[in-house]
Amino acid sequence: MPRAKSVARKKLVSEPLLDVHEIQGNILAGFNKDHQRLVGLRIRGVAEARKWLARILPHVSSLAEVYQFNALFRLRRSRLGRDPVCLVASWMNIAFSRDGLAQLTSDSDAAALPDAAFQIGLTKDRADLLGDPTPGGETDPTARWVIGGTNHPVDILMILASDDKTRLDSLVVQLRPAPMDGLSAPEIIWEEQGETRTDLPGHEHFGFKDGVSQPGVRGLISRRPRIYLTPRLLKAPGTGEIAFAKPGQPLIWPGQFVLGYPFGDRDGAMQPAPPLGRAWFKNGSFLVFRRLEQNVAGFSAFLKAEADRLSKTAGFPGISAEHLGALFVGRWPSGAPVSRTPGGDNPDLAADSLSNNDFLFTEDTPPPVFLPGVGVTAGTFPRAMEGSKGPVCPHAAHIFKVNPRDSATNLGPDIDTLTRRILRRGIPFGTPLTSLEDDGASRGLHFLSYQASIVDQFEILQQNWANNTGAPTSGGNDLIIGQTKTAARTMDLPSLVPSQGGEKISAPVEWVKPTGGGYFFAPSIGAIRDVLAVG
Amino acid sequence: MKITQFDAPGNIAHGGGTCQFYNPVTHGLTGADVTPASAGEITWNGFPRKFLGTAPGGAADFAGAEPTLTSGHSRNQDEYLEWHVTRNGSGKITSVEFTCEGYDYYEFLGREAADILLGLYQKFISPAVRHADLFTGAQYQKLNRWNTADGAMHLTQQANNLFAEVILAAEATVRRRDAVGREVTAAIPLTKCSQFGDARRNSDPTIGSGVNGFARQGRMITLANPVGLYIDHLDDAGFRLPGDLPVDGWFQILRGTPAHTLRAVFAPPRGAAFTVSDVTIGGIPIKFGGQIAQNITMRLTGVASVANNVQNTPIPCEGAGGAVHTAIAVAASRLPTRGAS
Repeated sequence: MPRAKSVARKKLVSEPLLDVHEIQGNILAGFNKDHQRLVGLRIRGVAEARKWLARILPHVSSLAEVYQFNALFRLRRSRLGRDPVCLVASWMNIAFSRDGLAQLTSDSDAAALPDAAFQIGLTKDRADLLGDPTPGGETDPTARWVIGGTNHPVDILMILASDDKTRLDSLVVQLRPAPMDGLSAPEIIWEEQGETRTDLPGHEHFGFKDGVSQPGVRGLISRRPRIYLTPRLLKAPGTGEIAFAKPGQPLIWPGQFVLGYPFGDRDGAMQPAPPLGRAWFKNGSFLVFRRLEQNVAGFSAFLKAEADRLSKTAGFPGISAEHLGALFVGRWPSGAPVSRTPGGDNPDLAADSLSNNDFLFTEDTPPPVFLPGVGVTAGTFPRAMEGSKGPVCPHAAHIFKVNPRDSATNLGPDIDTLTRRILRRGIPFGTPLTSLEDDGASRGLHFLSYQASIVDQFEILQQNWANNTGAPTSGGNDLIIGQTKTAARTMDLPSLVPSQGGEKISAPVEWVKPTGGGYFFAPSIGAIRDVLAVG
Repeated sequence: MKITQFDAPGNIAHGGGTCQFYNPVTHGLTGADVTPASAGEITWNGFPRKFLGTAPGGAADFAGAEPTLTSGHSRNQDEYLEWHVTRNGSGKITSVEFTCEGYDYYEFLGREAADILLGLYQKFISPAVRHADLFTGAQYQKLNRWNTADGAMHLTQQANNLFAEVILAAEATVRRRDAVGREVTAAIPLTKCSQFGDARRNSDPTIGSGVNGFARQGRMITLANPVGLYIDHLDDAGFRLPGDLPVDGWFQILRGTPAHTLRAVFAPPRGAAFTVSDVTIGGIPIKFGGQIAQNITMRLTGVASVANNVQNTPIPCEGAGGAVHTAIAVAASRLPTRGAS
């Protein structure tokens, strides 16, 4: 028997030890700060850029640092029952465009990075592919962007974040290029502050809780003691089924987000890390930045007008603007999923992290089976049940479009969808709109995502799914982030009354507009030290 | 011969339950209660999944998806969409023709209406096509040169046929359970359990999963008339010509309608100064027809009637014991009357 046990143990697929001192911290752990500054830089002199990089290198926050702090923060919060206000950390991460890397290394080095979208960059061609609107009189969707695109290319993007606004200001002053770095040190061409909303923490400007659903990344922080990056709360599934770390959080191999690690193929099998064109690519990740401006007043006005219209129809009697917005998003403003509470918002459900992401779209969601001894229980909220007359959550709802969960898609079975997941690190910018009237201020989201392939992950979500009426399943466009160039966006809305037909919503304008962005590579800390900063 | 009705092949004997796949010709079609109507539409990407790169960012094998073809050989394009690339003397692509018509229809024409078949080839492939090019005696040769090396009149891949669509939909209406008694619902396990298609495709698991979802809701299911797998649309966002010109008018429906497109071409409109090879997609020049296929969405439409009308018990997987896969041999008279439970 002991022998048999030993054999069985060897067959277990072990998870890789993550290079916690090499991987930048925002990638896998996430800064999760209330204050975050983005700084866009252009390289003027390569020698000065390297000198500056060498200076700030000790401040590039690692996975080890950010993970440890986040763990401490959670520990304190669990004892206090609130966020520990005195526990403060400030972080910085950095990423480079293709041109930026080429200047600091060589064109052939930069060309060896394995992503076609990164190679081209987020200029007119890729923006056009993403469906970004082209301003009148222009042929380039990025022509009037405030940062990035064709006219304001960014070589280096810094992400600085802190729990404390004053300390963030100090960190920015400390780390941004200064006279001591030389006259041709990198030039700051743009910077903008992101802030967690003080009136609705964790919510984006349309008023919906954001960032609820993130994949669980496999991999070990430490072998002894054995510490997983993503804590495991659930029992392992049967053969061929998707494994979850906690309810609603599938486990995904780290090679999906960081280069040089095992990844899951399209059929769910773990594959060894693919060879890299340069050894220093290991522990790096591709970063997508999109400055997404939100027309809050326009969105609210549309919801109100459309809800007024629908409320008089047989299929949607009395529907409110908030309810219609929830159907657009797939979650109520609190973050509670429509699939679990179709009749109205449920803040208690939204606040339960073991319940607020625990739902499937195409079948009744079974109750979670926790590992013995983990000491957690999920709230007793109604389970998500598949619709007997049609989908409970519309298939064009934002959360369905970008993560169709158990639903098979135009690109294959549900397990294929895992290869599309991204790690989102966005934060709102601008002040919340406090009236129904547009005040003309710029507000929106600094969308940031990390992935191992921009083409296969971020661009699929935006172009192939959010923009497409027929994908990931048929049902219309994502009215939140979807973009079309030729026609009004539409959404097929299942009726709320079983005996009645649905409605097709037509949205003549887009309320989320890209006004900046770029494709970047966030290299390992060692790569910055040994390659980029030395040439 | 005039077709008077479709014979539904779906009366699968599965241990005493009610067949949920029905023939609307013989059993009537009433209004569905699925909302929205698009819930019955099942879509998939037209580029074969098996030629996609494996690792994140890995390049698709476009060359492998469209090797030089000779008579007698079928294409290895298995998403119910096949294409033929025409190049000029300089090797530049001048057109890419797409078809999604099953070969079984053309075999039928070959048996029953050879002149119509020949006319279709002459209209859509080349006026130079002759009867002798297509037939050996009275036998239509679907892998003739005009449907392989020199064109794509209809689908050639062995599994790309109308029968496959119907039987796939039919078999997907059968609810399944695994060895421990749990109902099988996820796309790949269901595809393997029911053995109704190829689990490596975009299409089969997606079609099967969609249909099975309706079956689990206790619905009667059939395929929308006209039965077929169609080109839904080409998403040409990111398609550009030199000078940032759009490709308006380059994608033309040649056969069928916008709602039911059977055949289409991507080619420069008459008088255009460019070739297909001059087009870029997201900044990447078109070198293969598959790059366009990757932006084509395919569709079939199912019709699902009243929910909770049938309460079938899931049955074991194929090969797991029990005679469950007798397929299509049972007469239509044994099909249930719609509405019966």
